[in-house]
Amino acid sequence: MKARTVELGLLVIALLTTCVGYVLVVLAQRVEVGAELLGQLQAEVGGFMAIVVILLLAAHVVVRLLAPLADGLLLPLAALLNGLGYVMIARLDEGLAASQSAWTFIGLGAFSATLLVLPDPKRLEPYRYTLALIGVGLLMLPLVPGLGVEINGARIWLRAGPFSIQPGEFAKIVFAGFLAGYLADKRELLTTGNRRVGPLTIPDARHFGPLLAALGGALMVMIAQRDLGSSLLLFTLFVVMFYVATARVAYVLIGLIAFSTGAYVSWRLFSHVQRRVDIWLDPFADPKGAGFQIAEASFAMADGGLTGTGLGQGTPEKVPFAATDMIFAAFGEELGLLGATAILVTFLFFVGAGLRVALNARSPFEQLLAAGLTALLGFQAFIIIGGILRVLPLTGVTLPFVSYGGSSLISNYIILAILVRISHNSVVGRAEELEELENRDDSQLPFSVRSSWKAVNA
Amino acid sequence: MSRPIKHVVIVLLVCFTALFVQLNRIQFYGAQGLIDNPANTRTIQRDFNRPRGQIITRDDVVVAVSEPTPGGFFDAQRRYPQGDLYAHVAGYTSFTFGAQGVEREYNDALIGRTATQELSGLTDLLDGTNPIGNVRLTIRHDLQLLARDGLAGQRGSVVALDPATGEILAMYSNPTFDPNRIADNDGSLANEAWTELATAEDNPLLERTYREIFFPGSTFKVVTAAAGLDDDLVSMIAPEFVVVDSYLPPLTERPISNFGGSSCGGNLVELLVVSCNSGFAELGAEIVGPSAMIETAEGFGFNQTPPIDLPLPEASRFPSDFGALVSEGTPEIPAGVFENTPALAQSAIGQNDVSASPLQMALVAAAVVNGGRVPIPHVLAAVEDAESGRVVSDFDEGTWTTAMSAGTAELLTGAMVEVVERGTAQNLAIGGLTVGGKTGTAQLGTDPPRSHAWIIGFAGRPGERAEIAVAVLVEGQEGSSEQTGGRVAAPIARSILERFFQ
Repeated sequence: MKARTVELGLLVIALLTTCVGYVLVVLAQRVEVGAELLGQLQAEVGGFMAIVVILLLAAHVVVRLLAPLADGLLLPLAALLNGLGYVMIARLDEGLAASQSAWTFIGLGAFSATLLVLPDPKRLEPYRYTLALIGVGLLMLPLVPGLGVEINGARIWLRAGPFSIQPGEFAKIVFAGFLAGYLADKRELLTTGNRRVGPLTIPDARHFGPLLAALGGALMVMIAQRDLGSSLLLFTLFVVMFYVATARVAYVLIGLIAFSTGAYVSWRLFSHVQRRVDIWLDPFADPKGAGFQIAEASFAMADGGLTGTGLGQGTPEKVPFAATDMIFAAFGEELGLLGATAILVTFLFFVGAGLRVALNARSPFEQLLAAGLTALLGFQAFIIIGGILRVLPLTGVTLPFVSYGGSSLISNYIILAILVRISHNSVVGRAEELEELENRDDSQLPFSVRSSWKAVNA
Repeated sequence: MSRPIKHVVIVLLVCFTALFVQLNRIQFYGAQGLIDNPANTRTIQRDFNRPRGQIITRDDVVVAVSEPTPGGFFDAQRRYPQGDLYAHVAGYTSFTFGAQGVEREYNDALIGRTATQELSGLTDLLDGTNPIGNVRLTIRHDLQLLARDGLAGQRGSVVALDPATGEILAMYSNPTFDPNRIADNDGSLANEAWTELATAEDNPLLERTYREIFFPGSTFKVVTAAAGLDDDLVSMIAPEFVVVDSYLPPLTERPISNFGGSSCGGNLVELLVVSCNSGFAELGAEIVGPSAMIETAEGFGFNQTPPIDLPLPEASRFPSDFGALVSEGTPEIPAGVFENTPALAQSAIGQNDVSASPLQMALVAAAVVNGGRVPIPHVLAAVEDAESGRVVSDFDEGTWTTAMSAGTAELLTGAMVEVVERGTAQNLAIGGLTVGGKTGTAQLGTDPPRSHAWIIGFAGRPGERAEIAVAVLVEGQEGSSEQTGGRVAAPIARSILERFFQ
């Protein structure tokens, strides 16, 4: 079957799931708010719901036009996460749902624009240092007096009229681009090395310099902003991409040691870090105070049990930040262990699809970029879900595609667009190669290559 | 680069597996523990807007009722017409602060969610009625009022119960609070009340009757006597303890003195009648010994959480270890000497590490007149259908634990009656009734001398089994004479026993 047909079929399933969820939420609210208010609700939020569905179908048309040979799983998986997230946001707060449909609109606009203006991501490769500068610049913007505002203890927001923008969300993508470019260039050197330090062979410091400067700068800024989640994520991105580029476990170990040291030092130095760790170790020590959010999230999910209370039937709004950081707890409560597991599996599928794009990519730069961006989404989901489930200390990052939040949604759609683009280009590239081969001697090719070529042409 | 990319897949797979495992722990295996966590108010809050039955006493006095609040944020406001009188039994239910007492324990019955109610409600599904239940208490309103009047604002507790069935007839403690304030639907008023009560130094929210433990003092001598009699180590007439003014246990220089330097001795009945410290200390330490003392105390229910149908009861405590054997038993000290025999001597007269709730001490009195069996204490008489008044379910009565043989119990009953007739508990005597009792004065300090005044007792018609057992504790009395319990606590107990038979 053609990739686009698969995509359309899956997309329809994802959107049907979303619509059924939405109907359930409306039905549950009928009992709560009475018929009159309900009509209003259906008219207002229902309209936005329709917009979300139409937009996601439109995205499919855009892919058909701009990247027809791309992987057919990525968009439906993102649509499912976005749609379910929208349903839960509508269930929690109609006001947020209205803005979230606006953000979805802008996000899919960014998705289409990225596909359009970036026909070949490899062109970004030479601009790696520019990207690094842009990344640090984006991160530092909120520190500029007058531009940045502090929300919930972290100074990572820009105030623009009625909206707040989190430039850090975009900085992550730019850093992934920088790292891909840098590592694609230096990976040979980094892999072999030319200096011995004890048992390790490491490359000259001058090869490391720009990398460490960029990473160190970014981490400093994030720590100054008290944005622990993003620092953790950026660090993970760095280690993952370094490992993908060099395949050397030693770098991962050095990274882990550096991270442990850094974590220990900040634990010693910063009271807000100590508090997070204390809450993580025993959220029930002060369940009405410091541990409230985590304790309530656990109580909510315990209430959900195996099958959940049903959409609209629980009280997920009791958990602070239910629509943003803690949205996974809301799913755990209302959809139960089964629904929460479905979300975990959806993320795993997305990670699988994304890393398959990386495996099939034609150039090291694209491979690294696809692997980095996919790992970014996967680990971001892990960090926030792990925080809610008490696997890790809670650090505030959004659940990709699911949480309420404009910057996050837009940046995730840009990531999706880049993955779709790389995927399409790799199929095109393979097709061109095969064409050359076919002109020579078709019978010499292994069967699998021939059949995949036929699939592409079909 | 395909190998490292595959490794990234594996790492993420491991990460997500960890999430899945923990998700199962929270939502499945550990879910019940989280639901039962005291800080978890979700269930209470979810049930808050469901119709809720009344709580009524056995003599039809309404303790808790929901009044509709048309146009309010919530459908109804919970009211407690008796104010602070039942605060420590019925408890409260609050949107913000959850529930306590009967409101918490019998929440399911009140909102019609027990299995029986849901089954009986199946037929009502079509007409949409909800089979909510009224909870009928075993408590008698007149006795409850007497308990409050008797304590007259002093810190203390009163527990009265039926020794055969375990039905609690009165249960009241000071300081108390008005549950209407906490249950107020106006969150800011409720919050203000909660802050005031939760931070008050005398902790009025605490149910002192079954959730707090105190030195039982000489009332514990009933347990020591039971231990001696039950193993045939002593009888009512032999041995005769030497009349002394103090007893020096082995391995210590600190003697155990009798109150006010008085001297006492004689057989077990005499020891009990005058509440002789030296004799009981010697009995416990040298004749009964650690294992029999521990066994009997635990037979009465010490070191076990009482199975009362109220939330979070506190276990009464008796030491579970008195150290290694130092020297074998001899004719002079048949129990042998253990490392902590001096502590055992203290424990035998209800001091040292012994502490008991007023509920536990009422159960001690109950066991004596119930053939040695400690009944399961309970406040639920029945759950009744709010519509029809039909009994939906009642309490499954039974024996909690067996303290002693029926023979021992009979002997002790007689001895405790003698304590009332001619001993320290004479203030308990009621004409025309057979009354038994034991006073206690648990010393808290000597400068200034302060003590808990205790009495435990029972009463019945002559020649019949006792129908009520009681424990009264008045805390922190000035002075520490053995008369304190008889003087301060006995009149309160007496008024309740007397009223019961009117």
